[in-house]
Amino acid sequence: MGLMEHKFSDNIITATVDGVINWARRSSLWPVTFGLACCAIEMMAAGASKYDLDRLGIIFRATPRQADLMIVAGTVTRKMAPVVRKVYDQMPDPKWVIAMGSCATSGGIFDTYSTVQGVDEIVPVDFYIPGCPPRPEALFDALVALQEKIKSDKVLRK
Amino acid sequence: MSISAKDNLSEIITVNMGPQHPSTHGVLRLVVDLDGETIVGVRPDIGFLHRGVEKLAEHRTYHQFIPLTDRLDYLSPLSNNLAYCLAVEKFFNVKIPERAEYLRVIFAELARCASHLLWIATHALDIGAMTVFLYAFRERELILDMFEIATGQRMTSSWIRVGGIREDVPPLFIERLKEFVNIFDERINTYERLLTKNRIWLKRTVGVGKISREDAIDYGVSGPIMRGSGVNFDLRRDEPYGIYDRFNFEVAVEDGCDIYARYLVRVKEMREANKILKQALEQLPEGPVMTDDPRVQIPPHEEVYEKMEALIRRFYIITKGFAAPKGEAYACVEAPKGELGFYIVSDGDSKPYRLKIRAPSFVNLGALETMAKGHMVADLVGIIGSIDIVLGEIDR
Amino acid sequence: MNFVELVNKVNEKFPGKVINSYEKFGSRFIVVDRGSFKDILRSLKYDFGFDYLVDIVATHWPKRKEKFDVVYNLFTVKDKFRIFVKVAIEDDKIESVVDIWKGANFLEREQYDLVGVKFEGHPDLRRILLPEFFDGHPLRKDYPLKGRKWFNNADEQNLGLKFSR
Repeated sequence: MGLMEHKFSDNIITATVDGVINWARRSSLWPVTFGLACCAIEMMAAGASKYDLDRLGIIFRATPRQADLMIVAGTVTRKMAPVVRKVYDQMPDPKWVIAMGSCATSGGIFDTYSTVQGVDEIVPVDFYIPGCPPRPEALFDALVALQEKIKSDKVLRK
Repeated sequence: MSISAKDNLSEIITVNMGPQHPSTHGVLRLVVDLDGETIVGVRPDIGFLHRGVEKLAEHRTYHQFIPLTDRLDYLSPLSNNLAYCLAVEKFFNVKIPERAEYLRVIFAELARCASHLLWIATHALDIGAMTVFLYAFRERELILDMFEIATGQRMTSSWIRVGGIREDVPPLFIERLKEFVNIFDERINTYERLLTKNRIWLKRTVGVGKISREDAIDYGVSGPIMRGSGVNFDLRRDEPYGIYDRFNFEVAVEDGCDIYARYLVRVKEMREANKILKQALEQLPEGPVMTDDPRVQIPPHEEVYEKMEALIRRFYIITKGFAAPKGEAYACVEAPKGELGFYIVSDGDSKPYRLKIRAPSFVNLGALETMAKGHMVADLVGIIGSIDIVLGEIDR
Repeated sequence: MNFVELVNKVNEKFPGKVINSYEKFGSRFIVVDRGSFKDILRSLKYDFGFDYLVDIVATHWPKRKEKFDVVYNLFTVKDKFRIFVKVAIEDDKIESVVDIWKGANFLEREQYDLVGVKFEGHPDLRRILLPEFFDGHPLRKDYPLKGRKWFNNADEQNLGLKFSR
C-alpha cells in the first residue's frame, strides 16, 4: 500500500509522538503530598488500603521537584498562600493542579479575614472538586478526568 | 587540608522544616537550631491554617456553629460536636434522652478509635513502618463506613446536636458495630505484633521525647501525653460528662514519659474504647434521640407538616436561633488528643458573644521544645508524631 | 474541695481582693481585684494546688469601662477541681503568668495575637497565628469578619501575588 508497509520486524507499534507522550504523562501522574486540612485525610484515605491510588499509576511524592500534579487539599490561608505558590513554581513542567474541596475551590464556609477565597487566585487550576471534604471517589473522578484531558493535549503539534 | 579547632565546628545551624513537609502532619513549620545533628532549640511557627473559626462563631447562631466544630480536629469530628453541644446545653440545662446519651458515647468512642488508628498509621509511617499504615486504614474505613451509614458523611458529620443527636441510627449501623467490636481487639493485636516488641520500633521510641511528670502538668499538656508521663487523669472518669460514669473502663497510664509510653497509652485506649462500645451496645435503650425541650429542639418534619406552632418554631430557630441566657459556660471532653474545651460567653443573644476553643493540640505543641531538646534531628519527626497534632485545631 | 470554703480561704489570705464569686451554668467563678490577681494566682497554684493551667481567655467589651476580661481556667490534678479566675482590666495591659505556669507562654501569645491584650513580662510576645504584617486584632469587636484588606499589605517572598477577592 505505501512505503512503510512490511518494513518493520515484530513488536513495533506505530503511533503519533503526541499520543506516546500523552500516554506516558497520563499513566504516571505523581502528585506532591500537599495536605493542608481536612481534605488531606480523604486524600490519604484515597491512597491507602481500601481505595488505593497506586492502581492508577499515581504515587505520592514528598517533593515538588519530582511531581507533576498538585492536589491542593484544604483551606488556603493568607499565611499559606506564598508557600502554595512557591511549591507550584518548584514543580517542573508540565504540571497540573486539582483544587480539592470547597475551601480550595472558593473559600467554602470560611469566608473570613484570613482565608484566601479560592486557590485560583494564586495558581491556575485544572479541576475543581466540590465537597467538604469530597469522598475519595470524587478525587478519583477528578484524576480520571485529568487523564482524559491530558490525552487530548497537543505537545508537538501547533 | 585537615580540620582544626579554628574551623569552629560547633557553630549552631538554623534549619527550616515545613510548612510543606510530609511528616509535619499538616502545615506546621518548625525552625530548628542544630548543633551538628543535635537539636538545641525548636520554635514552632503555626497559623498556616488559621481560618478564623472563633470570629466566625460570633457571627453564627448556636446551631449554625456545629458544622464548623467538625473542621477543628477533623480526625474526630464527633468529639468536637459533643464538646460544643455540652457547652451550649449548660446554658439551658436540657435533659438529654437516654438513647441519645448512649449513642453520643458510641459516636465519641468510635471517633477516638478512628483518630488513634490514623495516628498509629501515620506515626508508624513516619518512623518507617509502612505495613501498619495499610492495616490501620483498613479498620478506619470500617468506622467511616459506619459513620456514613448513620450520618451520611464519612468525616465531617455534624451529627451531635444541641439537645440530642440529629436522627436515630438505622439497624444496619448496630449490626456493623457489633461486627466491629468483635474483630477490633484482634486487629489491635495485629498492630501490637508488628510494633510493640519490634526492635527497630523500640530503638526509635524508647527514651526519646521525654517530658517529666512535673513539666507535663506545668505545660498544661493533656491526653495521652499527660498519661504517658504518669499523670493519672482522664476527664471521662474525673469530671464525668454525659453518662460516662456508668461505664466500667480503665484509664491507661504509663510511666515511661517517652514516645513509647504514649504509644502504649493510645493502644490501650483503643482497647478501652472498644470495652466501652461493647457495654454501650449492651445497655442501649430504645426511645427518642432528641429532647422535646421547646427552647432548643428543632421541631421534626413530621410535626412541621401538621402543626402551625411547630412550623413557626422551626422557622424561628432556623433563621434566628435560640437565645442563651447571659453568662459564661464551659464544657470539656476527653477528646483523642486531650482536653478539648469550649468556653462560651453569652450576652443574651442568639449568637455567642465570644467563643474560645481550648484546643489540646495547641497546648501540647507548647511542650515540643522540652521534648525535643538534646535529641537527634531524625527523632524530631517521631516526637511530632507522638504529640499527635492536628493543625485544624491548633490554628482554628 | 468545696468552692465556698476555697473562696473563704482566699478571702482570708487576701482580704478584700475577692470582688465576687459565683457558680453559674456549672462553672465556678472567682472575680478578683486587678492589682493583686497575680499574687492570688500564685497562691492558688502553690497553696491550693491548682497546678494545671487549662486556658486563658480574653474577651473584648468595647462599651464597658473595663475594656477586657481575662479569665484563667485552673484545675487541680490531685483533687480534680476546676475554677475560673476572672480579672477585668481597663486598658489592654496585664501581667504575664508565664513564670507561674510555663504553659501560659503559648496561651498568652494567642490572646495577644487575636484579642490584643498585652501581657507584660512575657518572654517572647509576638504574633503566633497571624503573620507579622497583619494589622489589628481580629477578635476585637470592631474588626470586620471579612476584613481582607491586609492581604496585599506585603509580598513576603516577592512572588507577585495579588489578592482581589
